[in-house]
Amino acid sequence: MPSAARTGGAVAEPERFATEPAADDGERTIIGFFCRECAYAAADATGNARVPLPTTVRSVLVPCTGRVGPLHVMSALAEGADGVFLAGCLEGQCHYREGNLSALDRIAFVQRLLESVGVERERVQMFTMSAADSPRFVAATKRMHATISALPRLERR
Amino acid sequence: MCGTEGRRRIERAVQSRGLDHIVIGACSRRVQGPTFERIARELRLGENAVAFANLREGCSFVHRDEPAKAQKKAETILAASVARAAQQSDLKRSRTFLQRSAVVVGGGIGGMSAAEELADAGIEVHLVERQQSLGGYMARLSKTFPTEDCAMCSLAPRLANAATDSRIHVHTLSEVTAVSGPPGELRVRVLHRPSFVSERCVACGRCTSACPVELESDFDFGMAKRKAIGRPFANAVPAGFVIDFRGEAPCRSACPVHTAVQGVVALVAQGRTGDAYELASRENPFPSVCGRICPHDCETECTRGRVDEAVAIAGIGRFIADQVESAKPVAVPTAVYSVRAAVVGAGPAGLTAARELARFGYHVTVFEAQPEAGGALRFVIPEFRLPRELLAAEVARVLAHGVELKAGQRCGADFTVDSLLAAGFQAVLLAVGLQRAGSVPLAASGRPGLATAVELLRSQALGEPIPVGRHVVVVGGGDDAFDAARTCLRLGAESATVACPEDAAELRAEADLVAEALEEGVEVEGGLSAFEIVGAGAVSAVRFRKGPAGETVELPADCVVLATEREIDEEFLSGAPGVRVVAGQIVVDRATMMTERPGVFAAGDAAATGPATPIEAIAAGRRAARSIHNYLRGEDWAEVWEPARPTAEVADADLSTGKPEWRQPMPVAAGPGRRRSWAEVRLGFTADDAVAEARRCVACGGCSECRSCETVCPAHAIDFDQEPWEEELTVGAMVIATGHREFDARRKPPLGYGRYANVITQSQLARLVSASGPTGGELRRPSDGAVPKRIFMLQCVGSRDQTSRGNTHCSAICCLFATVHASLIKQEHPDCEVTIGYTDLRAPGKAHEEYYRLVSTRGVRYVRTRFGELIEEPDKSLRVRFEDTVTGTKAEELFDLVVLSVGLEGSDGTTQIARVAGLQQDAAGFLKEYHPKLRPVDSQRAGIFLAGTAQGPKNIPDTIAQAKAAAARVMSMLSSGFLMTPAEVAWSDPAVCIGCGVCENVCPQGAVHVVDDGIAHAVVESESCRGCGICVAECPSGAMTLGGFSDAEILAEVTARA
Repeated sequence: MPSAARTGGAVAEPERFATEPAADDGERTIIGFFCRECAYAAADATGNARVPLPTTVRSVLVPCTGRVGPLHVMSALAEGADGVFLAGCLEGQCHYREGNLSALDRIAFVQRLLESVGVERERVQMFTMSAADSPRFVAATKRMHATISALPRLERR
Repeated sequence: MCGTEGRRRIERAVQSRGLDHIVIGACSRRVQGPTFERIARELRLGENAVAFANLREGCSFVHRDEPAKAQKKAETILAASVARAAQQSDLKRSRTFLQRSAVVVGGGIGGMSAAEELADAGIEVHLVERQQSLGGYMARLSKTFPTEDCAMCSLAPRLANAATDSRIHVHTLSEVTAVSGPPGELRVRVLHRPSFVSERCVACGRCTSACPVELESDFDFGMAKRKAIGRPFANAVPAGFVIDFRGEAPCRSACPVHTAVQGVVALVAQGRTGDAYELASRENPFPSVCGRICPHDCETECTRGRVDEAVAIAGIGRFIADQVESAKPVAVPTAVYSVRAAVVGAGPAGLTAARELARFGYHVTVFEAQPEAGGALRFVIPEFRLPRELLAAEVARVLAHGVELKAGQRCGADFTVDSLLAAGFQAVLLAVGLQRAGSVPLAASGRPGLATAVELLRSQALGEPIPVGRHVVVVGGGDDAFDAARTCLRLGAESATVACPEDAAELRAEADLVAEALEEGVEVEGGLSAFEIVGAGAVSAVRFRKGPAGETVELPADCVVLATEREIDEEFLSGAPGVRVVAGQIVVDRATMMTERPGVFAAGDAAATGPATPIEAIAAGRRAARSIHNYLRGEDWAEVWEPARPTAEVADADLSTGKPEWRQPMPVAAGPGRRRSWAEVRLGFTADDAVAEARRCVACGGCSECRSCETVCPAHAIDFDQEPWEEELTVGAMVIATGHREFDARRKPPLGYGRYANVITQSQLARLVSASGPTGGELRRPSDGAVPKRIFMLQCVGSRDQTSRGNTHCSAICCLFATVHASLIKQEHPDCEVTIGYTDLRAPGKAHEEYYRLVSTRGVRYVRTRFGELIEEPDKSLRVRFEDTVTGTKAEELFDLVVLSVGLEGSDGTTQIARVAGLQQDAAGFLKEYHPKLRPVDSQRAGIFLAGTAQGPKNIPDTIAQAKAAAARVMSMLSSGFLMTPAEVAWSDPAVCIGCGVCENVCPQGAVHVVDDGIAHAVVESESCRGCGICVAECPSGAMTLGGFSDAEILAEVTARA
């Protein structure tokens, strides 16, 4: 895998759940940028299978996670989202060669940026999956929901 | 919304209110996006006028139990899409040209059917197939369900048509390595692998009979052997034969002279020892060296060593060297050049070079100081290791090439390099070897009882041995020391001790030599450094220092042999100005082996390329001959150093896991009896042993390059010089029909596949019941060839499987595949009981259910089964425990043959094309279609269409139907006259671009180029851009934007959603 050599970030493992209960201060908002080649297809398959998902997650279709820049992630957080995640193709299976790896680099950059201003890095994450892997998409969504629900609402000044 | 009613409402709204954008709150954009985009286009709203709010898959479907929250979320989604729509502006598209041609990948029935339709429509088709022949899986079947008609009978006309249709260009042994460009003008790179047989082949089959290499027949699913040259079946297209060369066998790569080891072994296995000798002597004029005094690196690298033990190549080599008498007489080469070349020294390097130069067509004269040719092989290696008569026979074969030998002529004394050049020799090779014993600091030589190993061995070889006394001490630890010690024993010494500075366990000499010497009674004393030879006049003892303390040890001896390193004798230098010896070696240019004097070359132990063993000296002789040839012709005609070639690689999984078969031990004469005998110590294999040993070879290289085929081919069609080559085809569209592969039943170890002889797959059974199969259609079980009386067929192997070892899908064809075989068997052998153990019996498809009913009336037993256990009995029958899930009873029955109905999954070829063409695969490796219902033969990439089992499991009629549908899609696309470039492409603003080139580097399509027309800026080829947007995110200046996914559009949506 080329990722280890070139990216500073790490793909989150959707199966590892955060288990803390949600703080009772209203429902969170999570923006998910989904690659049209994989995660968005997995999301559609999830919908067709009528698998229940948390209502906190709102999807934004992108052609490739490589299209998503720090600007988009930071804008989402600035404008009201409590968490942002990218869902792209499996490492080595990007339909545009290495778009997902570029995205991973940028996510790592945004995480460092957030930490430097005192915002929890786990508010921004990246997951990978194949178009066929609806269960992995569900797990990623639920994990993101659990993680963000366990954190307080993102304060803005 | 996507129906006519929805369209009418959209039309009405747009027209009545003068709308310029539409927001569709319905399903996912991936489902019906293109439908609404087309409506907008037709309503002249331009490109990018529709925004999608995914209210179904993205909201209502996944929040069914939280309606209130879902309602709120839906409102947010709609608001975001409206905000996005406000930012969406029209996008430019342009027309692209359409090539009226197509590439069809995969030459099975699907690919052939598509190609045929396209050709009939007047479209040029390139049919690209990985295998040697078109035909795919169908060519390997016996009869097909539900009609029980012969597969080949319906396939053969299709094959003939593909072969003869002038619009179908068949590329077999080929694969697609890259796909680029827009639909309509796809640039497809195709790699053609060599067949090593030219089009002159008339398929007479003589080569197949001559080929000694037997390989598992892929075509017969391993149920038969085939030769390394041939064709899989009689109707193959193209009809010509192909050599299955998988790379240089590792034994050959390891050999310094690149002997075609695998070929030699294969020929021995066939009992063709004379041919084997000739092959072994093709590169190496001294096959006797192999197996006797060669360190046999070939055995270290042997692939068989990964199974149990390496093939005893040295023993086989020895066996064939002994057959030198049965080899055909040397074909004397014609001297084509009038040029004369001289070789100084008739050792292995010199004689090899002489033979090679004679073969190139030169007149060669070899000068030798000793009275006989052979060099170190004759005068240093003792005859109990290398018999003299064998060496003499091989020297005679070298001289039979027209090489003139002048023995007893010393260079520097009887003639000089200058005199040779003056006498008209245009090139001189110095292969003088190392003649002198190294200088002795201990004592002056010539003292009675003191000799060097070289003197001793040479005196014995010349027939005038030095007297050796009763107690010999040999100082030194190399091969020469042990040769000397053993020679002394044979000359009458009562004891012989090898005393060496290194530890007795870490001797420099070859391990086998040491072991044999010890058996003969040679003693070894390690850790001793000699410093004094005692005795006034005659020698009486040697004194050594031992260990770090340096205590003195004295070994009594009346004869001391000093086995010092051999050194160059510089006598030849007189009369050779320009040739220099530095540090005991002749200075040469490593690339050409030429000394500093033009026309004078050096090779062998004396040259600065420094070989050490006879086999390496032979390799050096070959290099020198090639270099001299280049020099004399003034051109680079031959590669001096043979370039390394790719070595054949075999996966561990493909090596047999059967019982180990250990190698034949080399018989050796009994130690005590042989210590006074000059007869050879190692006795060699008998013919039977040699053949048995040779059969252990796994033929890992495929073709062994023995070139037997070349000898027998009447059409001169064999061409080993063919190389792989690539071409780029520009075509309008592609059809992918790369098919499936079978689930590997070895992934389910309890089923015993690959371990138990009588557990086979349905495809293997197809070969057994096929009239063209290895048994001619006779049903025979593999273990003993008996006709099975009780057969159990287990369904759903690797299909409908929830475990991680299998696939979840139903493979669709297996129930009927088993049924047709059961039916054929019952008709041929009515007394044979056939049981089909199924999970659920699935026979959809026209006339399938009826066929299943018919077969069940023929006495085939269908049992709804849960498989339990399978045990192999001593007679190789199989005991199967299973549960009848209809009655709930458990059963244990004995069967003669178990047939596994393995499932289908995406083939390796499918994975390859998916990778290079950017197509998506599902979990089982099948290609994803654009839309599972509405566009089932379109891939996710425009201009590429899908057919057959590459897309999913299906039977032959469905494959053909899909192939023809794919062909129809190609026709409709290519008949439209032109295509529009995609709207959602990247665009760079030249006013902002700084020309840094980041976009050019990251673009996966190679669609961005920085051009410099005064100011450097990026330009996007919109017909190639696939709109991923990576360049936009990477652009540091903000010049790059992506149609449909501009920052403004994405941010509008994100901001409204957050």
